[in-house]
Amino acid sequence: MKTIVSAAALLAASLLAVPASAASLVLYTSQPNEDAQATVDGFMAANPDIKVDWVRDGTPKIIAKLQAEIQAGNPVADVLLIADMVTLERLKEDGKLLAYKSPEAAGYDASLYDADGYYYSTKLITTGIMYNTSAAMKPTSWKDLTKPETKGFVTMPSPLASGAALIHAQTLAAVPGLGWDYYKALAENGAIAAGGNGAVLKSVASGEKAYGMVVDYLPIREKAKGAPVEFVFPSEGVSAVTEPVGILASTKNAEAAKKFVDYVLSEKGQEGFLKLGYIPARNGMKLPEGFPARDTIKVLPIKAAEALKNTDQDLKTFSGIYGSN
Amino acid sequence: MQGYVRPGNSQPAWLFPFIVISVLIFSVLPLARLAMVGIVAFASGGVIDVLSEPSLWQATYYTIVTAVLGTIISLAIGCLFAFVLTLTDISGKGLLSFFFVLPMMIPPQVTALAWVQMSGPSSPLLKALSLAPPLGSPQPLYSVGGIALLYGVQHAPLVYLALRAGLMTLPRDGVEAARLSGALSLRVFRDIILPLSLPGIIAGAAISFVSCTGNFGIPAILGIPASIYTLPTLIFTKFSAFTSRTFGDVAVLSGIIAMISVAGLMIQDRALRGRDYRVIGLSGASAVFEFGPWRFAFPPLLWAILFFMLAAPFFALVAGALVPAYGVPLTFKTMSLHAFQEILFRQAVTRTAFVNSLSLAGATALGLLVVTVLAAYALTRRRDMASRIVSSLIEIPYSLPGIVMAVSFILVFAAPIPVLHVSLYGTIWITLIAYFSSFFAASLKPVVSAFHQLDPALEEAARLSGAGFFRRLSDIIVPLIAPAAGASVILVFLIACNELTISALLWSAGTQTLGVAIYNLDDSGSSDLASALSVLVVLMVVVLMLLLELLSKRLPKGVVPWRN
Repeated sequence: MKTIVSAAALLAASLLAVPASAASLVLYTSQPNEDAQATVDGFMAANPDIKVDWVRDGTPKIIAKLQAEIQAGNPVADVLLIADMVTLERLKEDGKLLAYKSPEAAGYDASLYDADGYYYSTKLITTGIMYNTSAAMKPTSWKDLTKPETKGFVTMPSPLASGAALIHAQTLAAVPGLGWDYYKALAENGAIAAGGNGAVLKSVASGEKAYGMVVDYLPIREKAKGAPVEFVFPSEGVSAVTEPVGILASTKNAEAAKKFVDYVLSEKGQEGFLKLGYIPARNGMKLPEGFPARDTIKVLPIKAAEALKNTDQDLKTFSGIYGSN
Repeated sequence: MQGYVRPGNSQPAWLFPFIVISVLIFSVLPLARLAMVGIVAFASGGVIDVLSEPSLWQATYYTIVTAVLGTIISLAIGCLFAFVLTLTDISGKGLLSFFFVLPMMIPPQVTALAWVQMSGPSSPLLKALSLAPPLGSPQPLYSVGGIALLYGVQHAPLVYLALRAGLMTLPRDGVEAARLSGALSLRVFRDIILPLSLPGIIAGAAISFVSCTGNFGIPAILGIPASIYTLPTLIFTKFSAFTSRTFGDVAVLSGIIAMISVAGLMIQDRALRGRDYRVIGLSGASAVFEFGPWRFAFPPLLWAILFFMLAAPFFALVAGALVPAYGVPLTFKTMSLHAFQEILFRQAVTRTAFVNSLSLAGATALGLLVVTVLAAYALTRRRDMASRIVSSLIEIPYSLPGIVMAVSFILVFAAPIPVLHVSLYGTIWITLIAYFSSFFAASLKPVVSAFHQLDPALEEAARLSGAGFFRRLSDIIVPLIAPAAGASVILVFLIACNELTISALLWSAGTQTLGVAIYNLDDSGSSDLASALSVLVVLMVVVLMLLLELLSKRLPKGVVPWRN
């Protein structure tokens, strides 16, 4: 019996020893775990006096968490580093973000950050097509995925789980000749939309499906590790998100948060993203291995304000086509 | 029999109010808050939108179908193991029992992950054995059948434990009397053992059904890729697209799950009504049936079932953690420990998750035990309307999916607590309170059934000799219910350790649980990391179980559920 009692005491002590949060900065991010850890490690190495706790989830889930917290009047996050500008634009309009003019912005294209300093793009993440190397056809255009020989072999991330996937759908829906009809054709061809980009990678690399719409860095990185996959930039062009960083207006650690923004925008921070296999947003940076020259990548346009306005309707349209609520 | 127990006359005045207050905090307050949001949604007309969505009815259908099939499978497996391992003289019972209880202690998403790694074109294990199906083959587990199968595997131990608890206290004298009168084994089984074990079977079926309807980890990993949504995963995806309507929608959806669960429990209640088996003290289970030469035939069958339930998925999980990238066949050349390295030495989340899950589970199990023993005493001694209402109030949070309780607690504790000005939201404490609420019933059930089998005459005698409440508690009741209490603690510890649904919504920076960490890793596409962490969790569960095994000589009889 004594053993039980002392075990109980030990457990109780360990529970009390876990403080709510000893960190001075909380980051909510949609980067995969390994990347998030690397980013945070890099920042903490450059700023040893600041400890960062981070939370990773898909952009919509991170936002859902944040919205619930805001409704609760107790948002936990200080800094956001998530998939797309549209989401941050919405937060900005709701007055949830803090304006901060980072000196590092000078190294960036003006289209890549908010003029008032509410958010800054950190990298360029495009969505194209990946395929399993044992697949019969090598797709070169989006339309290839509606061909009969790909029937039942196509998968894509759901806009309900991924911010990049939402922007991607909205981008393709605005392209003449593609549009929502393209998504309908895909669905009729047996395409599946579920989960995030990670799920697509897994499904195609493992051979459950042969083709997938997916963000560039995942298959390019996996290919380097030996996975049987290829990534193509389709002829019509690719959609892109820029994983912007922003500070929440409710932050209690504005100084540390500003340092974080400066760090991810700085050359050093951008080097870190480059090493992880992302295209850095900063001017004059190299491209990671496995990517074609930057000027050969055709990025399809998206009107952020319009996309923002139509988001709810677009999600409904998409759910209607794929029956995934 | 009923009139024999004079209700309410032997318990202290504070006891029942104490239970009522606990129930108010853990059940009524959060659910009332949720109901309020639901009613507001009703009033604003949002309900029509929700109810007219076909996805809702489809999810309801899938929830019921998978839960019913899953319960049938868990009953089949659980009853087989319970009867054979408790009542017969086959060899290796201890080991068999030890391994059979394992699936319950493994988080559902780990089970799902392991089975996915074991079958289909993505299986590193099948690839290593050159048995993998061709490109584009569907993963057979991404289906209603797959979900039901894994529900069955996951919940069979619940049936096993519920039934076994009853079998352990079978009156040996009854069986011996029948034997002396010349009854054959089959007759003894049919006429004495089966009727007496029926409450255990029905209770097991009810626990299994309710757990199936609330399960999140399995349908999340097996259902979502095939667009098969059960109500819990539907709620989760609704949260993933958070809008101003979300809370209202979820309130309505949880109402439907509540109705399904309550229906299941009502059937159980009805089936058990009028059955009251009270047996004096412990009778200690011993082999009732001797298989003679057959005793060597059974173990291989049971071991084969266990191999497919445990060993094969576990090897698949290990293989999944060792491959360097997706789709690469596992060979000695390609094998890489990168995932383990990353999980153990780089990811900050690993240590956090281990510490959080273990301390949450420990605090929940031990804290609840105190409340549970008092509640069980109060509730079994009073057989009036009030106690029946309190009992069902305790049931409700357990029958609702964790995600619903999580939302309720967010709504309650979102704003700082009025007088104290402390904010629980975003801390580990809100998860702890939600755990208390959700696992109250799980902790209570074994203890209540032990109370039901207590002969009130024992305590009555002590009371007449002048023993006070705490004296009776410590000298008579606690020793008699110790096995059930021990089982309750272990049960709750393990359920809480493996929990995903509640923490999936309540976790925040620094308060991740193991369940959340694994689900998140898999969700972000790092299934090698998810597999590596899962392997560590399975090893941890086995080590914990072995520790209990070592301690078991010092523990009261029956505390370690897989031991005789």
